[in-house]
Amino acid sequence: GIVPSSVVLTSFQVMSRVFLIWAVTHSVKEVQSEDSVLLFVIAWTITEIIRYSFYTFSLLNHLPYLIKWARYTLFIVLYPMGVSGELLTIYAALPFVRQAGLYSISLPNKYNFSFDYYAFLILIMISYIPIFPQLYFHMIHQRRKILSHTEEHKKFE
Amino acid sequence: MRHSPVEILDAKTREKLCFLDKVEPHATIAEIKNLFTKTHPQWYPARQSLRLDPKGKSLKDEDVLQKLPVGTTATLYFRDLGAQISWVTVFLTEYAGPLFIYLLFYFRVPFIYGHKYDFTSSRHTVVHLACICHSFHYIKRLLETLFVHRFSHGTMPLRNIFKNCTYYWGFAAWMAYYINHPLYTPPSNLRSSAGETGARHLCGKEAGSVTSPSTWPCGTCGPLVRSKTRKIPYPTKNPFTWLFLLVSCPNYTYEVGSWIGFAIMTQCLPVALFSLVGFTQMTIWAKGKHRSYLKEFRDYPPLRMPIIPFLL
Repeated sequence: GIVPSSVVLTSFQVMSRVFLIWAVTHSVKEVQSEDSVLLFVIAWTITEIIRYSFYTFSLLNHLPYLIKWARYTLFIVLYPMGVSGELLTIYAALPFVRQAGLYSISLPNKYNFSFDYYAFLILIMISYIPIFPQLYFHMIHQRRKILSHTEEHKKFE
Repeated sequence: MRHSPVEILDAKTREKLCFLDKVEPHATIAEIKNLFTKTHPQWYPARQSLRLDPKGKSLKDEDVLQKLPVGTTATLYFRDLGAQISWVTVFLTEYAGPLFIYLLFYFRVPFIYGHKYDFTSSRHTVVHLACICHSFHYIKRLLETLFVHRFSHGTMPLRNIFKNCTYYWGFAAWMAYYINHPLYTPPSNLRSSAGETGARHLCGKEAGSVTSPSTWPCGTCGPLVRSKTRKIPYPTKNPFTWLFLLVSCPNYTYEVGSWIGFAIMTQCLPVALFSLVGFTQMTIWAKGKHRSYLKEFRDYPPLRMPIIPFLL
């Protein structure tokens, strides 16, 4: 309600971040000293600082062009950076998950259910392949729309 | 006979798509749709949504032109509903899948479980019973689709078949994998005998089929059946219809009951999850149906709940 972003896309992003933090980085302690963690933390931090400034200034109706430009341009580098960090972290966590049987339940058991967290993580990694390009090109499309719109405004002034 | 002209405009762009200058006043919307298809063959009638207002509700095929509130030239707005596929096709595909897929797991076809289990059979009675119940359920649904259901709309959007089949086939495979697994753990005798819950399950299915909308006394309506006169469904001599006293959509109530029975009988978590998802969806449908009943009938029995007696 407060900002015009899509609830579905945003909650998807929030869920994926929560997943990375709790279900991967926190759960697999061996992975916490990896460089890939640093990579996605930096990417997320910079992105969020810009994004929330963008929202705040927009709501105050005083949006400096620099913030708008930053939001719709820096993602070109930050987004792939974040995704690489995330994927490398999950990949690094895999052997430890396998070894510890983390969050996995196997047959036989009285609920007749099984879950393999290792396979689940691999599925998550594979899902990046269709999802990442869609989100990335959506942002590029938004960029073209919003930054060229500002250009035209400037021409009329 | 005075003929009325009809013009058809695109609901989004207001572009004039078609002008029919000699339409008989007692022509139905269905006939107008057929005429429209002649000039635009890519939009077959099932794909057309014609309405009086660009943002309004679709007109029904049976509506007659002269009974509509239009001027001398009727203006209809057109929306493309997208590629359509017939209900019957979708239902048959989505129900045949689980029937076939479950049997693949039951007979332990190669490459599902380890090779030493190929074509072996479970030693637990409940596994055989479960196969019978599951297969019977889907055979019943297929027969209903072929011989019993009457559909108000002939078609639905094409992408629904992928969505629906993924749901039914996916869950069927997931459930069947565990129930027919060599390491399956049957319920202990203490909980309830397999026979009892199996019987409960079978009854549920039978009851469900009898109270499904298509077998209701004529003039009643269900999620799929639309008939000319609409009356409140009431219990008859058939004991399975007595649930109408308490519930608007007893077919859903029985359906949920039978899947819960199946879950208890097989003691399988994926079955419970499938029941839960199905229950959620059926509750949404039942509430919608209940709301439309309340709107339509002033004297609708106040005791009735949409799907669960007294509760939901």
